[in-house]
Amino acid sequence: MITVRGKDPGVQNTVVSRPEVQRTWLHRLRKLALYALLTIMALVMIFPFLVMIFTSLKVPSDTFSYPPRLLPQEQLTVVMPDMDEPAPLFNIEVDGEKRQLALVQDNIRIGIYADPNALEVTYSLPVREVKPTGGFMDQQTITIDGKEQELWDVEVNGQVVQMIQTGLTAYGRFVDPNDPSVEVLANVRLSEPVTRVTARPQNYTEVLQLNGLGRSLTNTMLVTICVVLGQLVTSVSGGYAFARLRFPGRDVVFVLYLGTMMIPFVVLIMPLYQLMVQIGWSDRLVALILPWIFTAYGTFLMRQFFLTIPREIEEAALLDGASRLEILWRLFIPAAVPALATLATFTFLYAWNSFFWPLVIINTGNTDNHVLTLSLNVLRGRAADSPNLVLAGAAISVIPPMLIFILAQRFFIESATSSGVKG
Amino acid sequence: MAATAQPMQKPIKEANGWLTGLVIWHILILLGASAGVYALYTAQILLPEWVRWFSLGALLLMVPGSLGAILFIPRRDHRGRTLSLLVNYIGFLLCVLAFLQFIGVFAGFDELADRFPRSLPFFGIAFAGYLIYAFADRYENSPRRQRTIQRMGKIVMLAGLLLALLALIGWEAVPQFVQERLQVPILLLLAGGLLFGLMFWAMWRRPAAQAMQVNNARQEAIEGYLLLSPNLIGFLLFLAGPLMLSLYTSFTNWDGFGTRDFIGVANYAKLLNLTFAPLADARQPANQVVDVRVYDELWRFSFLGHSYLVAAADKLFWLALRNTFLFGILVVPLAVLPALGLAAVLNSKLAGMKVFRSIYFIPSVAAVVGIALIWQWMYNATVGWINYGLLVATNFFNSITGLSIVAAQPRWLSVSDTALFAIVVMVAWQTIGFNTILFLAGMQNVPKVLYEAATVDGADARRQFISITLPLLGPTTVFVLSTSIIAAFQIFEPIFIMTNPAGGPNNSTLSAVLYLYQNGFQRFNQGYASAVAWLLFLIIFIVTLIQYRRQGNTSYEL
Repeated sequence: MITVRGKDPGVQNTVVSRPEVQRTWLHRLRKLALYALLTIMALVMIFPFLVMIFTSLKVPSDTFSYPPRLLPQEQLTVVMPDMDEPAPLFNIEVDGEKRQLALVQDNIRIGIYADPNALEVTYSLPVREVKPTGGFMDQQTITIDGKEQELWDVEVNGQVVQMIQTGLTAYGRFVDPNDPSVEVLANVRLSEPVTRVTARPQNYTEVLQLNGLGRSLTNTMLVTICVVLGQLVTSVSGGYAFARLRFPGRDVVFVLYLGTMMIPFVVLIMPLYQLMVQIGWSDRLVALILPWIFTAYGTFLMRQFFLTIPREIEEAALLDGASRLEILWRLFIPAAVPALATLATFTFLYAWNSFFWPLVIINTGNTDNHVLTLSLNVLRGRAADSPNLVLAGAAISVIPPMLIFILAQRFFIESATSSGVKG
Repeated sequence: MAATAQPMQKPIKEANGWLTGLVIWHILILLGASAGVYALYTAQILLPEWVRWFSLGALLLMVPGSLGAILFIPRRDHRGRTLSLLVNYIGFLLCVLAFLQFIGVFAGFDELADRFPRSLPFFGIAFAGYLIYAFADRYENSPRRQRTIQRMGKIVMLAGLLLALLALIGWEAVPQFVQERLQVPILLLLAGGLLFGLMFWAMWRRPAAQAMQVNNARQEAIEGYLLLSPNLIGFLLFLAGPLMLSLYTSFTNWDGFGTRDFIGVANYAKLLNLTFAPLADARQPANQVVDVRVYDELWRFSFLGHSYLVAAADKLFWLALRNTFLFGILVVPLAVLPALGLAAVLNSKLAGMKVFRSIYFIPSVAAVVGIALIWQWMYNATVGWINYGLLVATNFFNSITGLSIVAAQPRWLSVSDTALFAIVVMVAWQTIGFNTILFLAGMQNVPKVLYEAATVDGADARRQFISITLPLLGPTTVFVLSTSIIAAFQIFEPIFIMTNPAGGPNNSTLSAVLYLYQNGFQRFNQGYASAVAWLLFLIIFIVTLIQYRRQGNTSYEL
């Protein structure tokens, strides 16, 4: 409990010994540190989602750029008169001035040469422009540190100097598009491309056409709506019966319900699969809906809520001749809107995000009946070559629950807190 | 509802007529259900095994039920009404479910998806109707206008829903559907359902209830079961029934299709079969000390100068169990301790805490599959953010200290040393927020009086956290810990998505549930997989039991 208790009169009595100024200063510093900690943590929580959204808007080539960068960027190009394709632009330093040059030729073999007497200074020249000292047949050599090395005639500032080759690399030839006389050789990999921030929303339309992802989005919506509505109906009626009606065996059944809440789903998965196969529902959407609209958790939640509604209201209505269903519809449901919203949001999440059961019950080949999570599972095979598409798919499955969360976060957090932690 | 009104001559007379009809109806049911039971039992009607057992059970309920109704209704005994309602309800459900199944409503959900997009605009209209309805609340001062707007809203809402439903069902397919599907046997089912429904209604009505001398309590009991019934039937059908079958299956060698022999505890025996053998020296081959046709070497260890070998009949199961435990041991502290710290900070009354609280919660609402894909990309060994972050952090550290440490660039998910840990980090990241909220709720339940008293006594914030918050957080902590452990034992989805092949590399991320999945749905050893499931359940059950024990001891009152 690191509360800041500045306003609390009790505190002021206990810390009289310290000067007031120092206290507020320390207080502020601690506050700052707390905020820093919280902000860092918030960044950690948010960062993967930023990666997802920004990567999903990238052009394919940008996804593999290193070092990785968040914002989607694309390299600017320029149309050169004597080239078929637009040439990419790079920022190159020419005579101490940064200029945007176009890469017109790549993979020019470059030798790195140095004077045997002054090895620290190296010169980079195209291999073509350097001739072996003494001709090709009869190249002169020099021995440095007991190692025999070939000598080359290198032209430096109009003078021919005999040098040894210390390395080989490949450069690109860069030309100023506006002034063809400016020509520079430079390492392409180390050059900084001219980019601008861009966005490629086509990734989303593309991925929706891929593997029937659009269809599975529809399926997911359909399944989720059905499960949420179905679960609301069964939970409300069951919860009302448990909370308000007296019938023999009620408490035994309720304890049984509670007991099943801790049964892990994996225990049920095989017999449930067999059941679906026998009814003929395997590989069908109905298998994703019907078994999931009866939950002990929802019934329990609604019962707990209905218990808090005063009995007197209901009894008055009963005396007036209202039926149970009328009471439920006119009194309990309107009063239970927060609980219903809680149940609906949690069920939504559960139905939308579920993966194991669809994986088991829906055939991999039957893409018409895939839900989003299944399509993503298929899509992940492309993770290696087009992460922009994969993450666009992930965004489609991740963002709707987030929107729901933002709209209904009061219910989420309240019910998360009330879902079992009551002392 | 209840039979409290003055008895009147006419309704009673009418009720008597209905009740005579009901007795005849129940005699018919008795005969029909008995014939049905016989036919099903001698397998003259071919149905899939479980459907047959289910129908048989329902019919077996109807036979004594109808018999009771026949005996009790003429005596005007209230039990007759209960039994009659039960029988008619079951009959109604059976007929309606069978009817819906045979006309293809359940299977038709697949085709609903075809037409779902085109029905969305109509759902939008319905929603607009709701908005209009809600808008009426603004005119609370003029009830007439309010009512007019509400009515308008209702009409729009209903029209939207109706159109949406029509678009969803597909009006163009109706004639063909009637031709193809509505044949005599299916229509008979519908007629049966209607008859059962009618009889139910006849018995439910107030005159019949009065005639059968039903009092308030009895009526309430019936209503209770009726309201509970949708839930209860689903519960029996999709939970209790499969659960029992799962237990039975774990004692069979079911392959999911044909073979299903009862083999006793053989599955469990194979899973748990471990053997120890002393080794002459640490490098002695396993085949010299254990029967390698049965056992695979699991691990060897040295103790007090002697070497031992542990071998298991099902090596993969023990590997999976080990990985699962390891995963739990790593992920639980990582997901719980930071959550405790964050909750302590969030519990301070600083501005903006609600925003932070919401941000931390976000990862726990997102689909695991989607998140796993994001992290898989971040774990990319060459261009991933995690390795880049490591590089930047190492360079920064080097520039401060002047050291030259080479940044580690692990190939996270493709190496057996790091794969499980990579998944641990991701799962911890996803669950921290939820745990934080739970802790925060626990902290806000701690009575303020205690802190005030402690402050008067001169305890500082740290002291208060240790002496008040932590002890009183006991139940919350136990709850968070046990839910985290239970979830950790069921780890499946991140592993399935992020590792390739699932459980790899080299079985280093093979978890118990993944092993179950492979056995049950890839090799179709469903009996064996059921045994794995029940062993896992046993472990989880023990954890839950410990939780309830602890929770009982540490609850506080004030």
